[in-house]
Amino acid sequence: MTDASAPRAISPFRRFWSRFFEDRIAVAALIVVIVFAALAFLAPWIAPQDPYDLAGLSLRDARRPPGYVGSGGYVHWLGTDAQGRDLLSAILYGLRVSIQIGIAAGAVALTIGTTVGIVAAYARGFTESVLMRVVDLQLSFPPILLALVLVAVLGQGKMQLVVALVTAQYAYFARTAYGAASAERAKDYVEAAAATPLSGARIVFRHLLPNAMPALIVVATVQIAYAIALEATLSFLGLGLPVTEPSLGMLISNGVKYMMSGRTWISVYPGIALIILIVAINLVGDHVRDILNPRLEK
Amino acid sequence: MTILTVDNLVTQFFTRSGVVTAVDGVSFDIKRGEIVGLVGESGSGKSVTGFSLLGLVDQPGRVTSGSIRLGGEELVGKSDRDMRAIRGARIAMVFQDPLMTLNPVITIGAQMRLAIRAHGAVSRRAADERAAEFLTKVGIREARARLSAYPHEFSGGMRQRVAIAIALLLGSELIVADEPTTALDVSIQAQILDEVRELAAESGTALLWISHDLAVVASLASRVLVMYRGKIVETGPTSKVLAAPQHAYTAGLLASLPAMATPGTPLSVFRPETMTVERPEPVALPPSPSAGQPFVTVTNAVKHFVPSRTLGDKIAAKITANPGQPTVKAVDGVSLTIAKGETLGLVGESGSGKSTLGRMIAGILAPTSGTVTMDGAPVMEGGRKAGTRIQTVFQDPFASLDPRMRVGDIVAEGPLAHGLTNKSDRVAYVAGHLSRAGLDPGLATRFPHQFSGGQRQRIAIARALAMQPEVLVCDEPVSSLDVSIQAQIINLFLELKRDLNLTILFISHDLSVVRHLSDRIAIMLNGRIVEEGITETVYETPQDDYTKRLLAAVPKLSAAA
Repeated sequence: MTDASAPRAISPFRRFWSRFFEDRIAVAALIVVIVFAALAFLAPWIAPQDPYDLAGLSLRDARRPPGYVGSGGYVHWLGTDAQGRDLLSAILYGLRVSIQIGIAAGAVALTIGTTVGIVAAYARGFTESVLMRVVDLQLSFPPILLALVLVAVLGQGKMQLVVALVTAQYAYFARTAYGAASAERAKDYVEAAAATPLSGARIVFRHLLPNAMPALIVVATVQIAYAIALEATLSFLGLGLPVTEPSLGMLISNGVKYMMSGRTWISVYPGIALIILIVAINLVGDHVRDILNPRLEK
Repeated sequence: MTILTVDNLVTQFFTRSGVVTAVDGVSFDIKRGEIVGLVGESGSGKSVTGFSLLGLVDQPGRVTSGSIRLGGEELVGKSDRDMRAIRGARIAMVFQDPLMTLNPVITIGAQMRLAIRAHGAVSRRAADERAAEFLTKVGIREARARLSAYPHEFSGGMRQRVAIAIALLLGSELIVADEPTTALDVSIQAQILDEVRELAAESGTALLWISHDLAVVASLASRVLVMYRGKIVETGPTSKVLAAPQHAYTAGLLASLPAMATPGTPLSVFRPETMTVERPEPVALPPSPSAGQPFVTVTNAVKHFVPSRTLGDKIAAKITANPGQPTVKAVDGVSLTIAKGETLGLVGESGSGKSTLGRMIAGILAPTSGTVTMDGAPVMEGGRKAGTRIQTVFQDPFASLDPRMRVGDIVAEGPLAHGLTNKSDRVAYVAGHLSRAGLDPGLATRFPHQFSGGQRQRIAIARALAMQPEVLVCDEPVSSLDVSIQAQIINLFLELKRDLNLTILFISHDLSVVRHLSDRIAIMLNGRIVEEGITETVYETPQDDYTKRLLAAVPKLSAAA
């Protein structure tokens, strides 16, 4: 009756990690993401210069190529920008801003979107129709357009940017959460919970939410990368953050006008940092999706 | 004349966790016009054997050694291209789900025509002629007209007939049928078995009938092969194997069938570890309490499903005045009572409304009209289930347990929420109910995916018992289990009935299981109860025509030729 030789309890969480580590590219991408996040977090301690401290900048050091030893007495490994900022420091601080905004926007959009989606899937009927039609309506607008309009209306600043990104992105979470929760809701174990009976809140939080989570985690990783890209786009267009707090997008934008004169490093290095970050997050997200996709389950 | 000789066939699967030998040295032969049954439980390798014959074993599996000779011609080692010419023309296959083999976007006629013309130059008219002829042979009326129908326009039984017609179409020497009637209702199964028997006799086509159901094989095959763990453990004429099984596994399989035991007695259980059959002591069940006061009362219950309409449908309905899809009358006026401590078996074929009725009694679905009460109080109040005295066990133990919760949490969740236990006592409480359901309490920290189907059904039963119910609604609780596991779960139900004085509504399509467990049975057809009474009375002297037909359709082991 009982199988004494069966393995010990293997939680779905442990199974997930053991499968994640089978793919080297994904592990490498995850390491890149962690390293970038750590660099961004530690920027104030490891950056050679504080790029926000305008008093510390010297125009004599402006637009110097990589490897130049500036008036501060240290090497500018990636060169300097038009204000004489050390590019490496600017990129580290820029990463910090980009990751902060990406995670903040992703987390808030995840929370709002998941709530909307799961409430719609559980309530059904009129509530479902209203919530999901609003979401559909919003999905029919390009997110970049929506974000542009909102930033133009709300003005510059981190808060405003996060609000714009959340508004542009929550609908994707809502759609995913709704789809996953509707599928789970039709399964026997949810009916079994209702037959016990357990309260609606318990069914939503203990059963629907944890089982909808895999799909949401996948969307979250992709959407964080997308939020970072969207923020960079807005900043590049000059609509994102104030000039005093340069994000990666703004650094790229600042360097564009020097591209033709051969001072490519001002745009290229922040661009490379941005690409590596976004690609790495997407690779991690792709692999997570492959693992969590029941159709590919071996 | 022998048409197929299989010698020492080995089929292995090369998976990441190692080599799995699904078919382990199987040898048998089939003569012209012979029907051979291949019987085994899930994982025995019976389906893989069938696939191997057709060269249809998919990666990562392949036939690694042995030989398959069809009319003297060796099939092992043939290229895919050569096998394609042989499949259909000389060996054909019929699957459990005919939707798998029928293309949903092409008419039946076009598919049959394609099959005919792929293996020879035949005019379109002649091909249609032949297709219609074979459809008529498998019992499809107005075959000519039906050629232009799509697969979805046929019922499940009709689709399976079409699949059989296609298999016969090219005059194959051998048809391999993998559980072809398992998904069908008994009455349709009985018709198909009759037709298949006739066709085989008439056309001289040999048939390898793969099934888990001994009774089906017994009523059809002249010879039977019993497979266990990749090996054929017993072979012989069906009647001989059934009457005097030589191998412990066959004996165990037969002994665990409810049809072979006196109703209400514990079933024998096969123990694979020791290869022995365990015959439990008979338990003294309390006398049938059918005469008692009604405990659960269903009065004129009706459940209609109105198809939900989108805005677009509503506008379309306004404009064209077309009512659209009709209302489904799943349960259409049912009244019944269950006495305290009684087990009522609810029997019906698919679509009879038995599950819907069960859900109304369990308090999951609100009736459209009518009432369901337990101990005088309505089961549902304000669209929600009232109280915890009725609990449910579902059919599919894989779907009814939350995959992300530990077994202990699954069992403890309801009792904690309803104050039947508390945080400090929960471990002991869960352990008690797991052991009651026949599980090692030490397994409480594991997750559902680490258990087999039978163990999961025990978890589901433990979850229901932990709520200390007085009524248990069981919807096909043993239908997805293998025979030997099914016997164990049936024994568990018998014990619970004896020890806990549970009132049970036992819903099943399987007449022998219901007969074994129930004090009284009710038979449903098209949302109504057509007959109701003491189990033995109904089985011995059925009154209603439908009940008579249903009972006659059940394949019986004693019918072995």
